[in-house]
Amino acid sequence: MGKSRAHYWFIGPAVALMLLLLIMPVFVAATLSMTDYSLGNSSFNWVGIENYEKLFSRRSYQKMFSASLTYVLVVVPISVALGLGSALLISSLRIGGELYKAVFFLPVMATLLAMAIVWEFALNPIVGVVNDVLRSGCDISWIHSMLSGSWLGYEPATSWYGAACIKKFPLWLGDKQYALGTIAFIGIWQGFGFNMVLYLAGLTSVPRELYQAAHMDGADSAWERFKLVTWPMLGPTNVFVITISSIRSFQVFDTVEALTSGGPSKSTYVMVYAMFEKGVKQNLLGIGSAITIVFLAFVLILTLVQVYFVNRRVHY
Amino acid sequence: MAGIKLRQVTKKYGSLNVLNSIDLDVADGEFLTLVGPSGCGKSTTLRIIAGLETQTTGDVEIDGALVNEVRPSLRDLAMVFQSYALYPHLTVQQNLMTPLRLRDLDFWERLPLLGYLVPGRAGKMAKIKEEVHNVAAVLKIEPLLNRKPGQLSGGQRQRVALGRAMVRNPAAFLMDEPLSNLDASLRVHMRAELSELHRDLQSTFIYVTHDQAEALTMSDRIAVMMDGDLLQLGPPDEVYQNPNDIRVAEFIGSPKMNILPGEADDTGKVMCLGFELDQTLELATPGPVSVGLRPEHLTLQPTGTAECFSGTLSYKENLGSDVFLHLETEGCEQKVVLRVKPTEADYAQLGQTICYSAEPGKMIVFGVDGKRLGLSADHNQGQSD
Repeated sequence: MGKSRAHYWFIGPAVALMLLLLIMPVFVAATLSMTDYSLGNSSFNWVGIENYEKLFSRRSYQKMFSASLTYVLVVVPISVALGLGSALLISSLRIGGELYKAVFFLPVMATLLAMAIVWEFALNPIVGVVNDVLRSGCDISWIHSMLSGSWLGYEPATSWYGAACIKKFPLWLGDKQYALGTIAFIGIWQGFGFNMVLYLAGLTSVPRELYQAAHMDGADSAWERFKLVTWPMLGPTNVFVITISSIRSFQVFDTVEALTSGGPSKSTYVMVYAMFEKGVKQNLLGIGSAITIVFLAFVLILTLVQVYFVNRRVHY
Repeated sequence: MAGIKLRQVTKKYGSLNVLNSIDLDVADGEFLTLVGPSGCGKSTTLRIIAGLETQTTGDVEIDGALVNEVRPSLRDLAMVFQSYALYPHLTVQQNLMTPLRLRDLDFWERLPLLGYLVPGRAGKMAKIKEEVHNVAAVLKIEPLLNRKPGQLSGGQRQRVALGRAMVRNPAAFLMDEPLSNLDASLRVHMRAELSELHRDLQSTFIYVTHDQAEALTMSDRIAVMMDGDLLQLGPPDEVYQNPNDIRVAEFIGSPKMNILPGEADDTGKVMCLGFELDQTLELATPGPVSVGLRPEHLTLQPTGTAECFSGTLSYKENLGSDVFLHLETEGCEQKVVLRVKPTEADYAQLGQTICYSAEPGKMIVFGVDGKRLGLSADHNQGQSD
């Protein structure tokens, strides 16, 4: 009985390419992470798990994890909430929805590196438009009283805005107190339009009859209908949006490289930037690979959580 | 229970007229069916009654009260949707509880977790659960209460959708093609069940369908709608036997009514396919007319009979109890369909010329505008002239 071997030819190319381009690099990285190899060296020494020990003990790497996690924990919830909110608002519009879609989606399409340079100018403490606008508000009494809270009876100098008016407005990218927040703000600005588009797609798949049934059943307020119909029906979209946003936030690199280079005092030293700095700039492939493997583990955990826990609860 | 009145209700989408001045009076406890082809405005009418859409002009009254400005949930109506529109993330029990929760619990009591702390909530919930179980028992869906809609068959979902409508004990039930997603045998079965349910609940049912069989079998009265107009409103028998418009005549009845071309003269005599009808028009209106004849009012005649129509048999449709003979008749564009007993049609071969005649007094004549023309009751008058 002659068995056909055609199936090997069908799956062969795909499997070969996957091994070559996806699986093998991971193994190479995993191997390199146990060595002290540098590019150009003819040999290397095995160092075991020394690189990983460094990762989890040294202060600069602790800052790296904290910067990455803080960034993800700030950007994901806000960009998801903004994406959902704007999608709900846009889908309720009769006219003008297309314009808002285009406007909110623009930052997604723009090259982040170019946008980062624009932001750098805008956020420049001396010539930047952001501080200019804030500063000009100090001289207009109603803006000053509103933003500083003095109209509620608070002492202006105790509020952030009032104090900044008296002293000076922050160096958004040069102050370790503000740098990560500023990078996160740009990340949200850049990312929520993408989430909005995903939510808009999700909203179109919610059957209209369900809303009508909710009306008949007595869900009179928009909030009740959101709770009864929209939110549960957006379950699969939610999982996808949150997973994609988390992975994208873990991957943040361009803005950090262009605006802060991980500083000041490593406050924006996120994982992918650390990978780049160690592995490429300093040619320490061993530690760079170790960061890569840990990074991969984070992303893998996120994906597994999506597949095994959340997905089962949102498909009815 | 309540009567529902529509007064000169119109609906326009932009420049498109969907409903042209509908007047409808649904009696308390009546089973009224809105029937018509798709796009005739029957679903729009139902949605206007429900409050899901607003009429352009006109009034809707429920139980004597004007409800034009009343939101759907306060009209005390329940609706069964074609797609059932069950909440897919909730179990059957939760689906059935939803209308009661939204009606009986206040905002604080509905809050997740916190709601449990509100005094009196437990009692209300127990009552809601009891009502849900009562309805589930009536519909025999108790074993399904803990399943989700995705795990149910079409028929079971249909029952759950009915149950969700029933739990609130509404003033009237609105049903938008509720059976059209079921398979044929289940549909026939559910027709009987719905009729029975209507008898038990003695509530007002307004039922929308495009299936004339559903309309004829279940309703107390049928409202035939077409192109945004209500053409005829009456009991099924009357609509079937005395259609007042050629569109009603063609829509109600399966196979549909045969329409033969005819010609009226100034004395009221009507000629059809070379024969004179045995009745004359009450009001002589000379010109072309259409003569309607139900398939069951045509009878086979032995070949060679002088006074008969003749046609060539092109298709024989055997339904077991009846046989439909499709005949190509000269002078008539459509095929003429005869409903005969299988034994009568034994001899008929495809391509054979068949003689047939119409039962006297069963013809219905329509004018060029499609409106019914009255025929004089006297059978002999036509012949004596």
